[in-house]
Amino acid sequence: MLALSRKVNESIMIGNEIEISVLEIKGDQVKLGIRAPKNVSIYREEIFKQIQEANREAVEGVTPQAESLTELFLEHEKQ
Amino acid sequence: MLVDTRCFGRVELDEKKILQFPQGIMGFEDKKRWTILYDIESGDGSSISWLQSIDEAGLALPVVSPFSLMKEYNPIVEDEQLECLGEFKDDDLLVLLALTVPKDVEKTTANMKAPFIINPATATGIQVIAENEDYPIRFRVAEAVRKMKEE
Repeated sequence: MLALSRKVNESIMIGNEIEISVLEIKGDQVKLGIRAPKNVSIYREEIFKQIQEANREAVEGVTPQAESLTELFLEHEKQ
Repeated sequence: MLVDTRCFGRVELDEKKILQFPQGIMGFEDKKRWTILYDIESGDGSSISWLQSIDEAGLALPVVSPFSLMKEYNPIVEDEQLECLGEFKDDDLLVLLALTVPKDVEKTTANMKAPFIINPATATGIQVIAENEDYPIRFRVAEAVRKMKEE
């Protein structure tokens, strides 16, 4: 991993379209500003990883149980 | 074409039914081709379908329409994130949520935070992360269904 030291109000460029600036440093928290084309998705890493994990769990879910799950849904659709 | 599936064995699939996910789905970024399978045989109009990978038989996620869990579901997503879907009107899009089904079905959850958004006209889809703070990744389905019943 590339490590760069930056001070408040300094930035780095990733390619020529993505700019990441250090806006504020307070204790152990750093506030970053990100300028990027809108089609570039920007996520907090932990949320992205949680969704990867949720998808993997969805794939591993036990299929026979889907039957009783269907019943759960049907029950409410009949209402 | 013939496709091996997780829940239905080998099935004949019209190639027009293949959906392109240019970015894959999260956790399976290299899987770009998917399709939606319905269990017609159960014949009960079950609202659960399967997002099945074309390229890996074992890879399929149960999915439901968010509207079977709540009346209003409005994920906030930047328009530019949906550029890969081609041209569409909002009403034309198909929105699905992945279900995680543990052994105790009662604890089944739906991922409200990261819906699949599909444009049937271009047969293209994407999984996005909604900006809505109050949409959980693990939304308890059974409770939602009970709530809908009460209303």
